[in-house]
Amino acid sequence: MLKKILLLTLIMVFSHGVEEQNIKSVMDTKTKESIKILKNSTLSQKQKEKKIIKIMDPIFSYSTMAKISLGKTWKTLTKKEKKAFTKAFEHKIKRSYIDKLKLYNNQKVMTSSPKKMKSNRIKLTTKIVGNHETYKIINSFFKKKNTNQWYIYDVKLAGVSIIQTFRKQFSAFLKTKSFNQLLKSL
Amino acid sequence: MKTKTIIIFFILILLQGCSTKKVSLKPLATQTDMNLTQKSTALPISSNDEIDNEDFDEEYTNQETDIKDDPFSGYNRLMTTFNDHLFTYALNPLSEGYAYITPEPIRQSVANFIHNLQFPIRFTNNLLQGKLQNSSDELERFIVNTTVGVGGLFDPAHTYMHIPVHNEDFGQTLGSYGIGTGYHIVLPFLGPSNIRDGLGLIADGYLSPLIYQSGLKKYKIPQNYVESIGIYGFDIINKNALHLGAYESLKKDSIDLYPFLRDLYEQKRRSDIAE
Repeated sequence: MLKKILLLTLIMVFSHGVEEQNIKSVMDTKTKESIKILKNSTLSQKQKEKKIIKIMDPIFSYSTMAKISLGKTWKTLTKKEKKAFTKAFEHKIKRSYIDKLKLYNNQKVMTSSPKKMKSNRIKLTTKIVGNHETYKIINSFFKKKNTNQWYIYDVKLAGVSIIQTFRKQFSAFLKTKSFNQLLKSL
Repeated sequence: MKTKTIIIFFILILLQGCSTKKVSLKPLATQTDMNLTQKSTALPISSNDEIDNEDFDEEYTNQETDIKDDPFSGYNRLMTTFNDHLFTYALNPLSEGYAYITPEPIRQSVANFIHNLQFPIRFTNNLLQGKLQNSSDELERFIVNTTVGVGGLFDPAHTYMHIPVHNEDFGQTLGSYGIGTGYHIVLPFLGPSNIRDGLGLIADGYLSPLIYQSGLKKYKIPQNYVESIGIYGFDIINKNALHLGAYESLKKDSIDLYPFLRDLYEQKRRSDIAE
């Protein structure tokens, strides 16, 4: 019994999401921090990436993202395959996210109030205002069952959902090739 | 019963630590109580298992585009490759060289100037979509930037007055009337498009002061088609010079370039029309 409690404690500490009432303030802080790090010329590119990943890690649910991106194929995978895919996908998403963030070197961050779409779905819009343009980022949150922690499962940049993009690509890929080939390509 | 109280106690303590606001004890206790009675075994060890019950599938489209929805796919693939090579070997090196010798403020002013001139397109299409506030925003932007912004070279409407830009085009107008996209077509030089948006581009060409039309000579800046192409070509080089690295960064996410760009384009258009 004690072992299970300990394990639960560990899970609670490490799989730390964000609570509903804090979503706006937490995301606002994290976005501002990330932009600040990107503009910091004293850090190397690798250091910047490491720092930003550390900021976003606790609220991204990579396992959910991996699951959605594979669609119905996910259910056909073994536990080992699921694990391997999630790991590879996590790596890909991180690179993709940082790559895109690099292109936003603007200043003002305006986070609007979260919109509750369903009892366990929230959309948060953040506008990054630069000298000449305004960029819109929409973070989609879901609530993990039996907790009140919310995690990001999708990010929409300029109207394009990262997960939808991968999902379509993977399904087209898997039409003609095997899962292992997909895993390799990641 | 005793073990259950210990578990509840632990959960409450941990959740207290996570939040900045106080968690009310009573409702949380009953909820965890219920969950514990529902489960016959211990609480899930892997957080992955908890997500099996969340149904995300309904939020995402699943249909792949097959041949009958994309009859031009053969041609589109070739054109995508053509455009991709054109970009990598011609446009991008030109932009990089141009960016090297031209300071950013000047590039930005060129972009501002051309953007300002495209006012008739945005204004008309916002009106056609019944977006009156947006149309008046665009009008305000045009007036302020042309006067205070010295002929559109600067953008005080954005910098000081924070008036938002409302980029509408005729393709979006048609979309807002419920007209479907039609087949996907990749245009040479211009990239992914579809039948509806292609027609939109032609319509907007009449409104744009930068595209030559033989009947509307006196409203247009270029005096012939060659000049139009020259101006547009320069605009593209300049715009790309302001966003170096964006296309390459985008490509990294792709496994198969043509469907990737096609889906990206269609997603973006749907999102643009919706707002």
